[in-house]
Amino acid sequence: MSNNYFNTLPLREQLAQLAKCRFMSMDEFSDGVEALKGKKIVVIGCGAQGLNQGLNLRDSGLDVSYTLRAAAIAEKRQSWKNATENGFVVGTYEELIPTADVVLNLTPDKQHTPVVNEVMPLMKKGACLSYSHGFNIVEEGMKIREDLTVIMVAPKCPGSEVRAEYVRGFGVPTLIAVHEDNDPKGEGLALAKAYAVGTGGHKAGVLMSSFIAEVKSDLMGEQTILCGMLQTGSLLCFDKMVEEGIDSGYASKLIQYGWETITEALKYGGVTNMLDRLSNPAKIKAFDLAEELKEIMRPLYNKHQDDIIDGTFSRVMMEDWANDDKNLLGWRAETAETAFEKTPAGDVEISEQEFFDNGILMVAMVKAGVELAFETMTAAGIIAESAYYESLHETPLIANTIARKKLYEMNATISDTAEYGCYLYNHACLPLLADFMKGIKTDVIGKGLDTTDTGVDNARLIEVNAALRSHPVEAIGAVLRGHMADMKKIV
Amino acid sequence: MTQILPSHIEMKSIKIENYTAAFGESFTLNNINWTLEPNQHWVITGANGSGKSALSAILAGAGHKVSGSISGLPQHIEIVSFEAQAELIERELKKDDADIMDVISEGTPVREILEEGKALYPEFDSALLDQLVAMFKLEPMLDRSFRKLSTGETRKIMLIRALANNPDLIILDEPFDGLDTASMQLLQSLLKSKIDSIAMVLVLNRFDEIPDFITHIAYTDHGKLQHSVDINNKQAYDDLYQLLHLKTTELSVPATDLSDRPPSLNPKDPLVRLKNIKVAYGDATIIDGLDWTIEAGQHWQLSGPNGSGKTCLLNLITGDHPQCYTNDIFVFGMQRGHGETIWQIKQYIGYVSTALQWEYRVSISLRNVILSGFHDSIGVYTKSTDKQKAVADQWLALLGMKDRANEPYNQLSFGDQRLLLIARAMVKHPTLLILDEPCLGLDDINRQLVLALIEKICTSGDTTVLYVNHHAEDQISGITQFKQLEKLDAQSS
Ligand SMILES: NC(=O)c1ccc[n+]([C@@H]2O[C@H](COP(=O)([O-])OP(=O)(O)OC[C@H]3O[C@@H](n4cnc5c(N)ncnc54)[C@H](OP(=O)(O)O)[C@@H]3O)[C@@H](O)[C@H]2O)c1
Repeated sequence: MSNNYFNTLPLREQLAQLAKCRFMSMDEFSDGVEALKGKKIVVIGCGAQGLNQGLNLRDSGLDVSYTLRAAAIAEKRQSWKNATENGFVVGTYEELIPTADVVLNLTPDKQHTPVVNEVMPLMKKGACLSYSHGFNIVEEGMKIREDLTVIMVAPKCPGSEVRAEYVRGFGVPTLIAVHEDNDPKGEGLALAKAYAVGTGGHKAGVLMSSFIAEVKSDLMGEQTILCGMLQTGSLLCFDKMVEEGIDSGYASKLIQYGWETITEALKYGGVTNMLDRLSNPAKIKAFDLAEELKEIMRPLYNKHQDDIIDGTFSRVMMEDWANDDKNLLGWRAETAETAFEKTPAGDVEISEQEFFDNGILMVAMVKAGVELAFETMTAAGIIAESAYYESLHETPLIANTIARKKLYEMNATISDTAEYGCYLYNHACLPLLADFMKGIKTDVIGKGLDTTDTGVDNARLIEVNAALRSHPVEAIGAVLRGHMADMKKIV
Repeated sequence: MTQILPSHIEMKSIKIENYTAAFGESFTLNNINWTLEPNQHWVITGANGSGKSALSAILAGAGHKVSGSISGLPQHIEIVSFEAQAELIERELKKDDADIMDVISEGTPVREILEEGKALYPEFDSALLDQLVAMFKLEPMLDRSFRKLSTGETRKIMLIRALANNPDLIILDEPFDGLDTASMQLLQSLLKSKIDSIAMVLVLNRFDEIPDFITHIAYTDHGKLQHSVDINNKQAYDDLYQLLHLKTTELSVPATDLSDRPPSLNPKDPLVRLKNIKVAYGDATIIDGLDWTIEAGQHWQLSGPNGSGKTCLLNLITGDHPQCYTNDIFVFGMQRGHGETIWQIKQYIGYVSTALQWEYRVSISLRNVILSGFHDSIGVYTKSTDKQKAVADQWLALLGMKDRANEPYNQLSFGDQRLLLIARAMVKHPTLLILDEPCLGLDDINRQLVLALIEKICTSGDTTVLYVNHHAEDQISGITQFKQLEKLDAQSS
């Protein structure tokens, strides 16, 4: 069965791999797509990443075709339509894999083991196999034939954005890595760089990292702050508001759209800007709540990170895969039955500012979650750049899916790995915060602070502002966001 | 309880008195006094940015009231405008699952969009809906995804929807733009058949589009209602016409930055050679067996009804249509699908269309919008040279926006945005300039400005123009080649 690759490495090597992460400079990409020119690229799977990456690579002058499992072709499934309507050649594994110089595995992570086992024997000697997420290599310990080069090019955005940004003449931040055990010809880095250029990623910033750092940080981010915290926060805030007699339609709307609105501020100016949107008394309140939350939740974040690092998380999850997803599907069904999920957003107008004013606790939860995830990751040896992308950068994306689809659909939409981790987090976090929630009233969730009292202690405000701005996630965030903003207003 | 007004015969007059309203940071409608009596049907006209759309929109509750009052508004008002269209498109984009993690969704079907009013309005007119759908020959679209419609088609759907909702008052902002002549006549006659039950306010740029049932014209300028004219008052009407046709100053096209030109082309090659083009989605064939060659210096006008594949054809040339890789296409010395990048192709092309305007949603300065034309990007991600910046400033001066170089683009009026995108397309003196209905949404003065510019470009020598237009009147003297597309039978495959 599967064998956790990370656990086979000596500690020194484990730490070195986790810490691997470097922001590359633009002139490292001066060779453009040269390393892939004239090579035959075959993509397995034509879903969100497969289709959009392929469109970009083809528009960058590369030779792209798609291979799908036989049933998808025979039944003309959506993936087949995606590929053919966009004018790509589509063929079976037998037809296309043997001709490929580079095979991009863009199937769902859960399917990687069977898919790779099936295509590997068909691959040309000396060809390259590429992933957009390292789970299969790192957590399942997939062994790839020695003559094959193995790389990763992972856009840090949904597939549709990968395409939309390319069409505008830009790209999305991208992480690349070479699997050092599989770089027989030493060409892995050149191929990964050319691939990143082909998708436009080099224009928005590329992190040179390792399979291990990518997986361990990606898993940590998605199960804690991204999906887990927002799910737990939604349920707790909703139940509290209803308990306090707030109209349930209002409560539902405040939460469903609130995450999106407050994290929009996060996206543009980090945690600092998100809190700056609050009045001074509310800001201090949110800060204090977040400090309290961080203290209560820190052991949970540590546990998630530990379980991810030592492989417990993926082992337990894969046992559930082998057990027909019993836990996953059970938890998914439970989510559908929660009061928040079953209460539709009311037909009430909530202004942009009101989401902040009446959602102080939500702001505190986002702050606590982002900072904890970032702190825990960096303490585990993951470099700040990586930790930033996997925590703060992606939070607005998930908030966006909640705004559109609430929790059940959010969970069905994210990867199974993220979903599984989200439920684990949620189940542990709900009881953990039970006491804390007893002290919560509508002033911090639902109604906002009493506006007659707007006085604050200057010294305290200065202290809070300084603490906000000096958090390490803010420092790295300013640099990375600055990099993108620079590009946009370079002239 | 909703109270149904039988018809507007019983409607009160709408009185707008000393009304001042703000639209965003930068635009205000000032001290409007305007009365719309029952049985009157109005056209509002004026230059781009003069406030004609804003004036119509206050009837539908838009703008932030500063002072004054509005009374007598009927209960059910429908508005169809570029803003409303953009809003609906935005709403549909937001629904798009593809934007989130994994799923590629098909989007809302057209039928659902059309019938949204059924549940909302007891007066909803299903028979009229069917009649309109048939009239515009839209039956084959009903099950298609709304998002996949062309701009012209979306516009028709909005119109049909608003009419079928059967309001007391309908506000139509540029209802005829983007319609071919046949569709426009159909729509005019249909509107005419409803004037007894629906009060109409139309915002129009062109005097020659004013339907004969219109009784009054309002003329806006600088956020004020400058003139209200009874259509039977011949003298006042003529003056107004003149006002809108103010002579424009002598124009000259700014030079470009010659240091950054794409590789020169073999003069023996055509710019574009399309052979036996086929484009189909599933079973629906859009283009079948088309051949077309564009030689350097040969200016073309391309026309055809909505849905005949004009935009699709242009996208094959620009590389924006994915099926360009499955067709025999030779552009600018490159046979498509042989290792060229789309950026190598785009460097020879300047391009303007309404679709581009929808997509150009970035909050950058006016100068940067023009500069992005040197890089073929939406937004600016590459450093521009001093020469390029100087050229951009000349274009701003030409458009009368010299002092506004650093203002944000997304706060401009629709017409001003269009002018800027035209400058963006022309700024590099492209080998091929593609203008897909460039005058859509422009008033007469700006339309003349644009047409004059195109004529200048046509005679300047280094740019070949490909001009797409419905309006036969908007002919350009330098264009001698015409290509007409016909709508294929949706059935054949
Ligand atoms: N989505 C993101 O935001 C994102 C971001 C960065 C990286 N990634 C990574 O990108 C990879 C692909 O993810 P995705 O979101 O693009 O997945 P997806 O949208 O679910 O697409 C998966 C594709 O694989 C095919 N497929 C499913 N099961 C298969 C099997 N057993 N054998 C062969 N083909 C199969 C599917 O087609 P049929 O079912 O029709 O065969 C579909 O075309 C993953 O490694 C993921 O971690 C995703």
